Amino acid sequence: MTEEQKVFVVDDDDAMRDSLKWLLESRGLKVDIYASSEEFLAAFHGGMTGCMVLDVRMPGMSGLELYEQLQARAATLPVIFITGHGDVPMAVTALKRGAADFIEKPFNDREMLGLVERCMAEDRAARDKRAASALATQRLGSLTQREREVLDLIVGGKLNKQIADELGISIKTVEVHRSRVMGKMEVNSVAKLVQRVMKSQG
Amino acid sequence: MLPGNSDNPAVQSGQRWLWMMPNIAVGVFVLAMIALVWVLQKRDFDQQMATLARDVQWTEQTLRLHMQSDQEFLQELAREASERRLEGAEFQARATLYMATNPHLSSLAWMDADRIVRDAAPPETGDWTVGERHAREEQEKSLASALASGRPVYGNAYVDEHTGPSIELFVPIRRGRRPLGSMVAVYSVPGMVRYLVPAWFSEKYHLSFTAAGDKLLAENSAVHPRDENLAYSLNFDPPGNGMQIRVEAYRGETDLAKTLPILLIAGLSLLVVWSLWSLRNSLARRIRAEDALRTEYNFRKAMEESMPTGMRAIDMLGRITYVNAAFCNMVGYPQEKLIGASAPFPYWTMEDLAGHERMLRQSLAGEAPRGGFETRFCRASGERFDVRFYEAPLIDASGRQAGWMASIHDITEQRLARAELEASHQRFMTVLEGLDAAVYVADLETDEILFANKAFKSIYGYDTVSRNCWQVTSACHPEPAQFMAGARQLASHQTPLELYDTQLQNTLNGHWYHLRERAIQWVDGRVVRMEIATDVTDRKKMEDINNQQLERLQQTSRLITMGEMASSLAHELNQPLAAIANYNMGCVNRLQANEYRREDLLAAMQKASLQAERAGKIIRRVRDFVRKSEPNRGAVQIAEIIEEAVGFAEIDARKAGVRIAVRVPPELPAVYADKIMIEQVVLNLVKNGIEAMLDTPHGERELAINARVNGKDFVEVGVTDRGHGMLVEETDKLFAPFYTTKPEGMGMGLNICRSIIEFHHGRLWAGPNSGSGSVFSFTVPVHP
Repeated sequence: MTEEQKVFVVDDDDAMRDSLKWLLESRGLKVDIYASSEEFLAAFHGGMTGCMVLDVRMPGMSGLELYEQLQARAATLPVIFITGHGDVPMAVTALKRGAADFIEKPFNDREMLGLVERCMAEDRAARDKRAASALATQRLGSLTQREREVLDLIVGGKLNKQIADELGISIKTVEVHRSRVMGKMEVNSVAKLVQRVMKSQG
Repeated sequence: MLPGNSDNPAVQSGQRWLWMMPNIAVGVFVLAMIALVWVLQKRDFDQQMATLARDVQWTEQTLRLHMQSDQEFLQELAREASERRLEGAEFQARATLYMATNPHLSSLAWMDADRIVRDAAPPETGDWTVGERHAREEQEKSLASALASGRPVYGNAYVDEHTGPSIELFVPIRRGRRPLGSMVAVYSVPGMVRYLVPAWFSEKYHLSFTAAGDKLLAENSAVHPRDENLAYSLNFDPPGNGMQIRVEAYRGETDLAKTLPILLIAGLSLLVVWSLWSLRNSLARRIRAEDALRTEYNFRKAMEESMPTGMRAIDMLGRITYVNAAFCNMVGYPQEKLIGASAPFPYWTMEDLAGHERMLRQSLAGEAPRGGFETRFCRASGERFDVRFYEAPLIDASGRQAGWMASIHDITEQRLARAELEASHQRFMTVLEGLDAAVYVADLETDEILFANKAFKSIYGYDTVSRNCWQVTSACHPEPAQFMAGARQLASHQTPLELYDTQLQNTLNGHWYHLRERAIQWVDGRVVRMEIATDVTDRKKMEDINNQQLERLQQTSRLITMGEMASSLAHELNQPLAAIANYNMGCVNRLQANEYRREDLLAAMQKASLQAERAGKIIRRVRDFVRKSEPNRGAVQIAEIIEEAVGFAEIDARKAGVRIAVRVPPELPAVYADKIMIEQVVLNLVKNGIEAMLDTPHGERELAINARVNGKDFVEVGVTDRGHGMLVEETDKLFAPFYTTKPEGMGMGLNICRSIIEFHHGRLWAGPNSGSGSVFSFTVPVHP
């Protein structure tokens, strides 16, 4: 079950936090605000979806440190950093580590909103992809040992005869296994089977 | 008198024995002499006694001879009478004739048998009256005996009233057996003495006759004193019963002769005893003197051995006759090696033999200078040392000069000390005279100048010493010295005491002087004051220039700070501006979508305007800061200063994740300072603190600002970080211009901060924090 997408704003400046919430809500976005990195970390859980808006400089744990913490926890939320005039190098560092983007103060409201919405979409897509992959993985998991062997050989482009030779079983048995694999993986062609296996591995 | 060793018991007993011998000898001699004299005297006495006895016997013989002849005469008469041949005047004639030749007879009588006197010569004398009966009853017995025996018999001695002591001789006249009477001769005892005893005997002896019962009958003379020891008694019995002759020798010149030797012996003995006594006395005196001399000698020897002065005597030929221990020590040669040595002496230095010889010649000639010689001797070890020696003639016991005695003083150290002293005095004078500062010393009470150095004299004249210091310097002093109150009564134990320390301008030459006056104890013990006036004109000029430079520097620093602030400002302003934009766009979006609630919009607009105000405040702060150019000191609350400085630093702090903790007690007094300048200092320190904590873990990044009262005149502010801290050697350099630990720093911050604090008469210093990091502290005065 996935939650509703939200924008998580972490900023120590009250006015900034409050005004951002005001702005983002004007576009119908759900906004959660946090006064510090620590506060956010306390509330964080894996089911959070949407995106984060993080102030780079904060007393206590900085935005960048929070980001590192989240990465360590395999959080997938896209992060937008808000940087000040002198913080561009820091923001670049953040980008290199996989941050979604950064926005320099003072920022244009449309720019900000666009960025947030893009991130939301990215998050959504990424989540769908993750969901498909999870399904494929689940289906693969339902195969028996022999079925898995047969599947690997099919994906490897081997013919039934070759498979039978390799595994030391009869062609007939191979065909039975093959039909079961196709059934369990809910595909009707080898092309689709290969696509699904790739997805689960990606 | 010095203590001698005459108390020594052994010596005393020895002396006693020594003294007993002559005493005993004298005693024995005296006894022997006395014995000798006694023996001699005894012999003499015996001799005299013998002589006396002989003489006495001789005299007795003489007497008896006379009496015998008298007896014979009487017997002849008696015979004639018995034969009747004696008739008529025959008796008278013969008796008278006989008596004429024998005066010791007082009378002759013829008595018949009836005791009647028939005739007597001289007639009619005494008892013997012719025709009368012989009256003396006491003679009857003798008469009867004579008549009875027919032999002559002497009667007892008696004293006749006419003729004195007498003895009678009765010669019986018998015819056959018939007594016919008797012839009587009456002896006058004094007559016997006078006529029968020879003259030489009388001269020599005293002779007396005594009757029985020691009754004195007669004596020859009593003129001369008699020697009773030299007496002889002889019974003169035949004539008188119990009569005695007693002879005593006269004491005469023989006495003197006898006593003279005794006297001489006694006298001589006394003389010997006296001479012995006086000898003993003189010997005792001599021993005492010897003791004293020995003590004195020992004393002098000890003195001589103990004193560091070397003594050396030479005879008239220049040979050493004596050296003392000190001299031996001085030159390092043993006494044996020196005594008897002649020139060149072993302690002479080879390099100056001629000089030594000349001095020796001078000494021997008696031409040694009164102040002594000063020269250099050589020790046995080869070491050289300076000496001074004085020569004095050495006179022996006979008063003749026997040589020269020299006292030698090692003056190496003395000379070194003197040279040192001179050098130090020289140095002292050079330093004092070389000083630019004018120095003078004046009496506290009289203000008389006791000492002035060259610098002082060159300003006030070279005759200033002993003049009154106020008169001398009055032209340059704007006012008399009111700072002297009470200082005139200072006691020496209160020194040294700082009297005053000030700067003043010499009204004559316009130079500025730094005057420093102290009360010190002068060399003669009195309390004086020493004034040191240093010309600080140049320094003052330099200070002025420095101050101007500092001001320019401050200005520059202000600009630098402003540059830094511009970027902070951008940050700072971003915050409210972004918030305003957000609120604004939020409203716009809602209005465009026509989805809004009026209250929400209102609240957002109000928040936006608050942010606008916030931005305004920031702008105003910057404006205030920039507007400030001239220092403007006044009473300010330190809390206010810190608050504003922290306001500026907040953005930096937040960026660096530093928490700023301000702890200012509310009751702190206001400080007298330029608010902006102190703010700048605080800001600078806070920024430094923040930068110092870049490597500190996030949770620990705390910057503390504390304020407290320091003494009663200052407020102290401390900025404590928890950064990397600093090394001790760094703290010294921290405040130096252009010192920095920051790659992009100019190194002006702390230097300027310190200048600012010092401009406020405060102090700025740095030290390590108790945990980690550093504390930068400064003080600002409470009063102007």
